[in-house]
Amino acid sequence: MTSLTHLQKLEAESIQIMREVVAETENPVMLYSVGKDSAVMLHLARKAFAPSPPPFPLLHVDTRWKFRAMYEFRDRMAEETGMDLIVHINPEGVEKDINPFTHGSAIHTDVMKTEGLKQALDHYGFDAAFGGARRDEEKSRAKERIFSFRTAQHRWDPKNQRPELWKLFNTRKHKGESIRVFPLSNWTELDIWQYIYLQNIPIVPLYYSAERPVVERDGALIMVDDERMPLEPGEVPMMRKVRFRTLGCYPLTGAIESEADTLPAIIQEMLLTNTSERQGRVIDHDSSASMEKKKAEGYF
Amino acid sequence: MPTKHLTPEILNKLRLEAVRLRLDGHTVAETAARTGLSAPTVSAAWKAFREGGWDAVAVRQRGRRAGQAASLDAAARQALETALATLPPTGEPAWSSRGLAEALKGQGHRVSPRAIDHWLERRDLKPEPLALNGLARRRSQLGRWYRQQLAPVLAQVKQTGGAVWQGGARTPPPDSGLAEEPRRYQLYLHGKRGALFTRVLAAPPLADDYLALFERLLATTQVPVALIFRGADLQAAPAVGDWLSQHPEMRLVMMPAGLPA
Repeated sequence: MTSLTHLQKLEAESIQIMREVVAETENPVMLYSVGKDSAVMLHLARKAFAPSPPPFPLLHVDTRWKFRAMYEFRDRMAEETGMDLIVHINPEGVEKDINPFTHGSAIHTDVMKTEGLKQALDHYGFDAAFGGARRDEEKSRAKERIFSFRTAQHRWDPKNQRPELWKLFNTRKHKGESIRVFPLSNWTELDIWQYIYLQNIPIVPLYYSAERPVVERDGALIMVDDERMPLEPGEVPMMRKVRFRTLGCYPLTGAIESEADTLPAIIQEMLLTNTSERQGRVIDHDSSASMEKKKAEGYF
Repeated sequence: MPTKHLTPEILNKLRLEAVRLRLDGHTVAETAARTGLSAPTVSAAWKAFREGGWDAVAVRQRGRRAGQAASLDAAARQALETALATLPPTGEPAWSSRGLAEALKGQGHRVSPRAIDHWLERRDLKPEPLALNGLARRRSQLGRWYRQQLAPVLAQVKQTGGAVWQGGARTPPPDSGLAEEPRRYQLYLHGKRGALFTRVLAAPPLADDYLALFERLLATTQVPVALIFRGADLQAAPAVGDWLSQHPEMRLVMMPAGLPA
């Protein structure tokens, strides 16, 4: 009997989870944030249901503030995979012109991401949504189950979660409930990078180091991705060799100074790092236990 | 045999052996063949022996003895760091090693420009200018940029008797290599023969810092200047754009991002 490598085991587990969801739910969807985890999740989904395209659409809850490179990449991948891409932008947020600068990261995230996601799930009637969250990202994600049940109001109760012993998943839903499913729960950031490297998975170029215009905000390097970024009086963006460990809304995502412009170099950098990738996300610093609070309110 | 790679000890042994062979009556050519030294080295060793005896045969130690290097004391280093954050009183665009040495002399620190050069180099504050020679023929992104954007500007500026300078903004790594250390922000220019003019700031340079650099550069050169610049997105700063439109004698050519230094 041949033994599987740890990546093959993770891959098999994720594929099994995806097939289980498709078998047990009526209207699943894959949340596609365009980041590296989404790239791996999409790759696994294509493997799980090959040769057909995955039997569910991709849903991108857009905030209008993602990096330009992410939009280009998203559209390219939707075309390449032949999957339906649903892009949802919270119309109320658009009407009020909610943005990270005038409204702050907390309101922007709540309105454009959390509320936007809930609106999209309700509108299309999705009863299961795949997400690319991993347990090593953040402490509240660490305790969330792979099959995470949400009430009809999309609320998460961390104190009322189902056991998942021996990888047996109870997918029975109460009326109105939906499931957030995290097939990459047991992957680490390093696993993701190794898998991307081994499987040659396309990712947004922002993950590779390059000279980019950045300004400093509270110690974080924020890329000036378009003319909407307000500069301080007299401020001049500097061109610095940076890359992103995580991707979100560009005004809320800090870059790291890095020379890693290839996958092996990124993996080598990963091996030496001892900080979470989400350290670069401004939204995670809003308040203590902010992620758990956001998740309880319906954040992905 | 080239002797440059030999340690002084081995070279001296061979020189003594060469003198012994010459004393035994061997010719210079025979001695050179047997010791592996060159004929001029054999002759030099023989001449040294005839003029000064056995003690004169050994070569003198190369370079400075350990500890003899001109070092900067803590007060001089502090004075340098303070000066680098300011604009030089001489009107130069930024600090040159010579300007820093003069300024320190005024404060009672006798430091040579060369020692300051070494100090800057050790602190990774001596960026290299881009070698423009041969770029026109390169079949790379850099070559294309040179031919399409830089060469026409250089031709125009040279026609009017102007000067070509290079410069940029950068963030050198922290002195200790520890990421927690405060960042340093360097503004620099390279003038004739790559002479370095620099400032080191504790915060990212603002539009006024860039403009002070450019204004002083024009005042120093007194001729039209083509400035090849990198490391800042100056197009995003309206103040710089306005200033450039009022100073057509300054032709700013931004190096595209991602090109090798």
